[in-house]
Amino acid sequence: MKKMKWAGLVLAATMVLAVLSGCGSSKETLNIYSWADNFDADVLAAFEKQNDVKINYDVFANNEDLLAKIKAGGGGYDLIQPSDYMVATMIKQDLLAPLNKDNIHNFANISDTYKNPSFDPDNKYSIVYTSGVTGIAYNTKYVKDEIDSWDDLWNPEYKGKVILLDDNREVIGMALKKAGKSNSSTDEGEITAAVDDLKNLLPSVLAFDTDNIKQKMIQEEGWIATVWSGDASVIAKDNPDVAYVVPKEGGTIWSDNYAIPKGAKHQELAEKFIDFMLDPENSAKNYESIGYSDPNVKAHEFHSEEYNSDKMINLSEDELSRTEWLGDVGDKLQVYDRFWTELKSGRE
Amino acid sequence: MKRKNHPLLGIHSLLVMIFIYVPIAFIIAYSFNSSRLAADWSGFTFEWYASLFTNRHVMEALGNTMTVALVSTVVSTLLGTLAALTIRKVGRKTKAGVGGLLYLPIIIPDIIMGLSLLVLFTQFHMPLGKMTIIIAHITFCVSYVYVIVTTRLTGMGGQLEEAAQDLGADAWQTFRHVTLPQIMPGIISGALIAFTMSLDDFMVSFFVSGPSSTTLPIYIYGQVKRGISPEINALCTILILVSVTLIFLAQFMLNRGKGQKKQSVLPF
Amino acid sequence: MKKSSLGLLPVLLWLSLFLVVPMLIVIGISFMGRDELGNVVFNLNLDAYATFFDPLYLGIYWDTIVLSVLTTVLCLLLSYPLAYYIANAGPRMQTWGLALITIPFWINFLIRTYAWVLLLRTQGVVNNLLIDFGLIQEPLQMLYTKGAVLLGMVYTFIPFMVLPIYVALEQMDKKLLEAASDLGATGWKSFWHITLPQTKSGIMTGSVLVYVSTTGMFVVTDILGGAKSAMISNIIQSQFLGARNWPFGSALSVIFVITSLVLIALFNKAMTSRHLTAKEGR
Repeated sequence: MKKMKWAGLVLAATMVLAVLSGCGSSKETLNIYSWADNFDADVLAAFEKQNDVKINYDVFANNEDLLAKIKAGGGGYDLIQPSDYMVATMIKQDLLAPLNKDNIHNFANISDTYKNPSFDPDNKYSIVYTSGVTGIAYNTKYVKDEIDSWDDLWNPEYKGKVILLDDNREVIGMALKKAGKSNSSTDEGEITAAVDDLKNLLPSVLAFDTDNIKQKMIQEEGWIATVWSGDASVIAKDNPDVAYVVPKEGGTIWSDNYAIPKGAKHQELAEKFIDFMLDPENSAKNYESIGYSDPNVKAHEFHSEEYNSDKMINLSEDELSRTEWLGDVGDKLQVYDRFWTELKSGRE
Repeated sequence: MKRKNHPLLGIHSLLVMIFIYVPIAFIIAYSFNSSRLAADWSGFTFEWYASLFTNRHVMEALGNTMTVALVSTVVSTLLGTLAALTIRKVGRKTKAGVGGLLYLPIIIPDIIMGLSLLVLFTQFHMPLGKMTIIIAHITFCVSYVYVIVTTRLTGMGGQLEEAAQDLGADAWQTFRHVTLPQIMPGIISGALIAFTMSLDDFMVSFFVSGPSSTTLPIYIYGQVKRGISPEINALCTILILVSVTLIFLAQFMLNRGKGQKKQSVLPF
Repeated sequence: MKKSSLGLLPVLLWLSLFLVVPMLIVIGISFMGRDELGNVVFNLNLDAYATFFDPLYLGIYWDTIVLSVLTTVLCLLLSYPLAYYIANAGPRMQTWGLALITIPFWINFLIRTYAWVLLLRTQGVVNNLLIDFGLIQEPLQMLYTKGAVLLGMVYTFIPFMVLPIYVALEQMDKKLLEAASDLGATGWKSFWHITLPQTKSGIMTGSVLVYVSTTGMFVVTDILGGAKSAMISNIIQSQFLGARNWPFGSALSVIFVITSLVLIALFNKAMTSRHLTAKEGR
């Protein structure tokens, strides 16, 4: 009996301690939930100072984790940064609050290319934060042919040196693009054909990887890979032999965005924050530091020469014209998922 | 009475230790590497150690992780040991049922545990934070403690305890002076595993965490997309050094205080 | 409840609230349907369970079991002698042994696993050493293979095997061994007939911990295996996240938990009968 009392006591003490430690300061807090290192720390600090608030910046590792958490009611976050297709999904599931543009005058600074995207027409719920295009990165030391088509991944000379993104929509979408279809096809015949095509590519694949594809390309473990343009820029800085191209069949364009979850406690502050980040000078400072593409046209003049001349960060109109957003495929997602499991497990 | 270990055993043990420590040596070496992406060796630097201590996020995450790990280890060690001690005395059916239940947290996939607890907490309007992480960690840690202490009890038999009671010791005295010292290595090993599991848990913590309760694993998983900063390597290096120093100090104090008395004590 | 079993009360209360209730929710969801958006809808059916019998998922589960058994056996072979060594060392060495085995695992799992990537990749240390010593001409492709996954698993779960075996070995009745050697039993014979049977509870616990943890692990396959093979936990994970099919993910989990419990029970039984005679003999 004594033992039990003892245990109970400790338990109670634990609870009290834990509750107490949950209480924070009295300042208004903006709870941001985003990708790691997605903002310049100085710019965040400037916002804190200007508005006398505290920013609390937590991180997630992928869109699916974010969705599961927000959907289950978890969070208490005021500002989140889902990717394009996830914005569409979250709108459908009624998880986002409409943005009050009266608080975000600097929205006007966003390039027309990134206004009214197909996943959120009229930007009712989201504003593009950064964006990129999935193309081919290849190491010119090993890859001597001219690369301009997805078909080049299938070249038997690169056997065992091909790396693909670890993402069903990206990879199956790529094979669909190669066949001249939409990357978000819902036609099972088209999807099956694309998957059969990918099965021929499998023996060439070194690995599926999204997060560490940069290291694999820098270290020359892989010669040729499907890579996001922003990552290609990072790779090329460390390994100048690596080149990047948006294939002639076109590629998938993606974006990370600002959005506010429904029921956010500090919606107005979150909007103020978005407006602050879209200010041309703040914007330049922020993107210069994180090295992603800046959709803010007014910020152009504040950026460094080096940033403005990076062709992988600033894609040309021509390249962008060949791109397509990933659309919502509805229940066909199950088909994509099962095929993807087949591809990765090597079973049928 | 201790027997000598066979030299081949020594060689085997040494090799396994090398196997365990080779990657660790690498982590330490790369904490001095000036390249951020840990791709190539590009020069020696102390930069990461300097920036580590000014990184508010890492320091906060470290504090959260340690609080959570310590509290969950203490509570789950108490609960798990109590359960292991009691289950010896119950009938076979109860034993099978409760024993099976106590295995569940180890078997259940992390994501199920994380998501279902998240649903539970939000249904009860419990604010997500350190407390919810601690509750979740205790839930799986208790199993590890239980199975290891049970292992110890299985091999113990009841003779010593019976003898003590025959000699007039009451229940508490028997527990304090006979049972507890006997199962101590089991409790310590169980606590060690519980601490390790809590320290390293990502999936469950991710789902039940809220604003301001980011733990180190959550922070590190989040960094993967951009490349994990060598600051984390620096942090790991410091953690190892601190742990080893603590053990060394504890051993030193123990030897001074108690002479040669046989005791397997860890400073946790 | 009898007074003697009151000690189970705290843990039972705790687990009922934070384990049984959530588990019941999961079991419930596994019998439900889903709408196009992935929301769980109330529509009792067995579809999720039927999907499991698709040869694709059965095959993946089989692969998972094979890999987990292999990992368990390798861990046991590596860990038993090490645990034996530590248990027979002096008290100070015992403390150091346990600490030195556990501390590396306080380093974040991802960091440890990435360290293996640095070691094993084509331009990594192992390949460079092999080339320098003239053992190979071209770097070996060690990463992104099944072997690399196995290595990563064994590495990750070694302490789970060492600690329980140590716990069992440390309390062994050494007098029995002395008696055996007095009676002329050789080292190997007394190990086989006395030490091993006396430590089977440790082997059991260790094996169960390693087996179960391996089946539940998925990150190792992604990082060291190049995500080219799938484990059952990868599938469960993706049903809850990417594929948004919670009923199927729940059904998979239920099947996974039940089969694991059955396997543990069978193993437990086999171990008990295997050494029954030896145990009775003391």
